[in-house]
Amino acid sequence: MTTPTSPSAVHDATADPPSPPSPTASFYDMSDDEEGGYSTIRHSKTGKGVKLLYTKSKVYVHPTPSAKDNIPGYIALIQQKPGLERSTSTASQTAVGSSRGAQSERNSLLLAWVPESSLGSASEIYTKVELADGDSPPKQSYLVPPPPITTAHSSGLGTYAFAVPLSEVFSILVRPPSVGWWFGSVIINTKAGDSFPALFFHDSECQSTIQQRKKLQRESFEISASGQGMFWGGDEVLRWLKRYVTVERSSQEPNIYLIDPSDADKLSFGSGGKPTTDNVRNVLEGKPKDHPSPSSRTKDAQMDPMMQALKSARWNFLEKMSQVTTFTRRTAQAVAENKNVPPQVRRLLQDPQVRTVSDEFDSARLYLARWAMGIAEQSERERNQRMWTARDVMEMEDSEVGEFEILDAEQMSLTDKRKPVTLKEWNGFFNSRTGRLEKTVDEVKERIFHGGLSPEDGVRKEAYLFLLGVYEWDSSKEERDAKMNSLRDEYIRLKGAWWERMVDEQGTLEEREWWKEQRMRIEKDVHRTDRHIPLFAGEDIPHPDPDSPFAESGTNVHMEQMKDMLLTYNEYNRDLGYVQGMSDLLAPIYAVEQDDAVAFWGFVGFMERMERNFLRDQSGMRLQLLTLDHLCQFLDPKLYAHLEKVDSTNFFFFFRMLLVWFKREFEFTDILRMWEGLWTDYLSSNFHLFLAMAILEKHREVIIDHLKGFDEVLKYVNELSGSIDLQSTMVRAESLFLRFQRMVEAIDKKSNFPVPIVRQRLPQPPSSPTTTTPGADGKPRTSSQSSSSTARQNANRAVIANGPGPRPGSSSAAASASGRDKTTGDFVAQGVGAEKEKVISPELRILLSKEVPKLDKHEVREHGGGVGS
Amino acid sequence: MSSRKKILLKVIILGDSGVGKTSLMNQYVNKKFSASYKATIGADFLTKEVLVDDRLVTMQLWDTAGQERFQSLGVAFYRGADCCVLVYDVNNSKSFDTLDSWRDEFLIQASPMDPESFPFVVLGNKVDVDESKRMISSKRAQAFCQSKGGIPYFETSAKEAVNVEQAFEVIARNALAQEESQDFNPDFPETIPINIGEENQGCSC
Ligand SMILES: Nc1nc2c(ncn2[C@@H]2O[C@H](COP(=O)(O)OP(=O)(O)O)[C@@H](O)[C@H]2O)c(=O)[nH]1
Ligand SMILES: [Mg+2]
Repeated sequence: MTTPTSPSAVHDATADPPSPPSPTASFYDMSDDEEGGYSTIRHSKTGKGVKLLYTKSKVYVHPTPSAKDNIPGYIALIQQKPGLERSTSTASQTAVGSSRGAQSERNSLLLAWVPESSLGSASEIYTKVELADGDSPPKQSYLVPPPPITTAHSSGLGTYAFAVPLSEVFSILVRPPSVGWWFGSVIINTKAGDSFPALFFHDSECQSTIQQRKKLQRESFEISASGQGMFWGGDEVLRWLKRYVTVERSSQEPNIYLIDPSDADKLSFGSGGKPTTDNVRNVLEGKPKDHPSPSSRTKDAQMDPMMQALKSARWNFLEKMSQVTTFTRRTAQAVAENKNVPPQVRRLLQDPQVRTVSDEFDSARLYLARWAMGIAEQSERERNQRMWTARDVMEMEDSEVGEFEILDAEQMSLTDKRKPVTLKEWNGFFNSRTGRLEKTVDEVKERIFHGGLSPEDGVRKEAYLFLLGVYEWDSSKEERDAKMNSLRDEYIRLKGAWWERMVDEQGTLEEREWWKEQRMRIEKDVHRTDRHIPLFAGEDIPHPDPDSPFAESGTNVHMEQMKDMLLTYNEYNRDLGYVQGMSDLLAPIYAVEQDDAVAFWGFVGFMERMERNFLRDQSGMRLQLLTLDHLCQFLDPKLYAHLEKVDSTNFFFFFRMLLVWFKREFEFTDILRMWEGLWTDYLSSNFHLFLAMAILEKHREVIIDHLKGFDEVLKYVNELSGSIDLQSTMVRAESLFLRFQRMVEAIDKKSNFPVPIVRQRLPQPPSSPTTTTPGADGKPRTSSQSSSSTARQNANRAVIANGPGPRPGSSSAAASASGRDKTTGDFVAQGVGAEKEKVISPELRILLSKEVPKLDKHEVREHGGGVGS
Repeated sequence: MSSRKKILLKVIILGDSGVGKTSLMNQYVNKKFSASYKATIGADFLTKEVLVDDRLVTMQLWDTAGQERFQSLGVAFYRGADCCVLVYDVNNSKSFDTLDSWRDEFLIQASPMDPESFPFVVLGNKVDVDESKRMISSKRAQAFCQSKGGIPYFETSAKEAVNVEQAFEVIARNALAQEESQDFNPDFPETIPINIGEENQGCSC
């Protein structure tokens, strides 16, 4: 480790009271002499200045969500002349410790941010220092005008510039760049409890970062060694600091780095997990999730229980106190007395005023239900309770329960070990010369399903194109390049087609109307899709269409690209056209690819499997809701019975989750992780239904104990949004799938039914003479460990339920007529309940298939609701 | 359990996608407008307690997705509605033209006992937008409402909170009247499957 050498020849600044930076052209005289520590830079007039140790450019303050308000500046580590207890050079060279010398050095070091605009001629020096080799402080001393020292962030209209003594810094909150947060950022928290505005590192504009990245790539050891993904500006700042002070990462909040933590800090922060004052403040102030503050990036699941309770308290309590239904005093009492409830919240509940309110109005119950859930989450109990379902069915099948418990545990630990696939690993899958895959597709998919793709190194850009079917898995690099070229051309051609339509107003009147309407729809939807993501937030360019309702507010490049892609899709798939929800499906793909032609074709691939969700007659959604109905009956009859009682077996409360694959329930980054897993079809091409089941199972106790009507169930499930932990949900879903698979196998073995191969189809209209004959045109599935045992069996005999009730094809159609499917439901219920009549409905059996449920073109034409081609 | 009888009024808000249904509801219930509400998917509701002539009622306002195809699953929420709010955008004639089919759709799906007297309210939203963009005049909208049996009409802005409070007051009042007319009608058995605990909804003692 190198400590800065402060050659005595440097005429350091005296610790004069700070003055605002007002450099003049002749402020400095600088020597370019590289070698020898003797060269000096001298303030030409007064000799005053501070030493610029390190700096980095293109670090922005984002005062508003609009990109046009961003202020570029420099982050800098500055040394001023030490104060009274002037340190000798020996003292300052001792390694970081608690010696008086080190302490005084800390006092003399300033961490600063200065806007570009304020630098004047000093900017040359800043550039010079920035581009000097960053591994050690510059040998030469560069003096710059002292920035005004600030120890608190003065909110209000003033400047954002600050310079804070390192000794005053308590912690630094570090958020590396990732999708959704394009720019990495740091927030400096002072010991006094204040925070400076977030500093955003626009790495792609920053010369020194680009340089350092290149260097690291050449050396490449650093990237893997740090395990932190792509190098970015914030890393560099931490490196500077580490040369002078102890920088310790908090074990509780991995994004917080403590600066010279005292033992007490370490204790309360490291092991105790106490929320910081910022944490609490943010929660209490109800800052938006994206707000760059400590609490915002902490997943709910990792959050301290108290935090969680406070958060729900805010979300639900304050808002819902004014709501309705049938809350009882007893429930409130029970919760208020529950020892697990954090005292703060208990006190809140015991407040007489709150009590009256909750007594009068209901839906405090929903709030309490969620709350109860939060408590349940903490306890081990919950996992055990979940086991009864398997046990139940297994008793019926007289096999062992133990198996499943092991399965769960096994899954947990397996998943813990899975690491995301990095770009490096990904590239290793392919032959370096031909670019052909050298692993089996299944192996690759398994890795992605369990580990996901690294969010940081750009591997998604490439991998998504395989997962979405743009590239064939067995293609060579050359073939892929050729394909991409022709796809780019094709995209331009398709774009041209609607462009002409727009300009020429050609086509029939009906077509023109449709087109105009679609365009309007897309316009409106894009402007309300993921606007909280920085990529889509800005309104920095004037709207190209003065007639748009958004003409005044403006738009940004990415929203315009989104519109183009969706209009192109509307043209490309005219049988279906654009339907609401599609913009939600496109946004993440575009955010990853950031290239409209590429993202478009990825989206087309995604839509092939999602098409059925958007049909005019909603047959595809009905089918999935019906399947979920069957799945719930099969896996959790007790919960199902309750849902039946509260009139909720239409499973409509899962409509949103299924339509856009949980897009509204999870943060952007989680969605990418989830979708790439789902795209693999590793266990089932309908794995999303197991995710849905996993979410339902997690909340089963609350639903059964507290929710008394369809409206309450819907509200409760809608409000889960933003609070579901992805990782554990995926593990649970996998475990449910495996349980399901074993149950089906056990039943098959017992009843010795020949097993059909079914292909997922839409329900036929009742009048249709053809009933679904599963397997008739289904290709044999590729055998794999998960479904081989069933697939191996008799492939041609189509077994349709021999229980009472209509045949599945027509019963689903009947469901669409009534909006609720009683018939098929009963039929399966009897199947599960009554020993003799046990059947696996075709809807359930299809869940074992990995074949993606794509629609035939004629099916889309028939049900699509577009204008046709 | 409180001895006071609770009244739950179920209100359905319908209209083309993007006319401002979600924004209106949020303006009324939460007193705020955000330019970044997401397009509604599926259905959701907000509730609000209000006093109507000294009676405390709870309004349950149902928000649905506006694109036609998503309505086919909406049957479940239409049932038991006490009032239906039809919203259009005064700067978009298409959204006005479809009001009639939204109304028909509702009557078919909800099949209220007396369709003729079932309360609707029409809201012409986004009146804050520049006059030059306006496509549907007040006159035209009023004529439409008149022709449908005198539906109350309001011109609103969810963005600038214009007339929102007033409109929902009328909505609440009419919904309450509807709810009560059903309560006191002994000829028809109660069919509303709303869950208000064990309380007897028809009790008029
Ligand atoms: N100028 C203006 N815009 C509005 C108003 N109400 C809603 N909007 C905008 O219209 C778009 C659609 O609104 P939203 O409430 O989502 O419509 P919904 O689809 O009917 O729920 C959004 O961009 C809103 O910001 C209003 O009163 N005035
Ligand atoms: Mg809406």
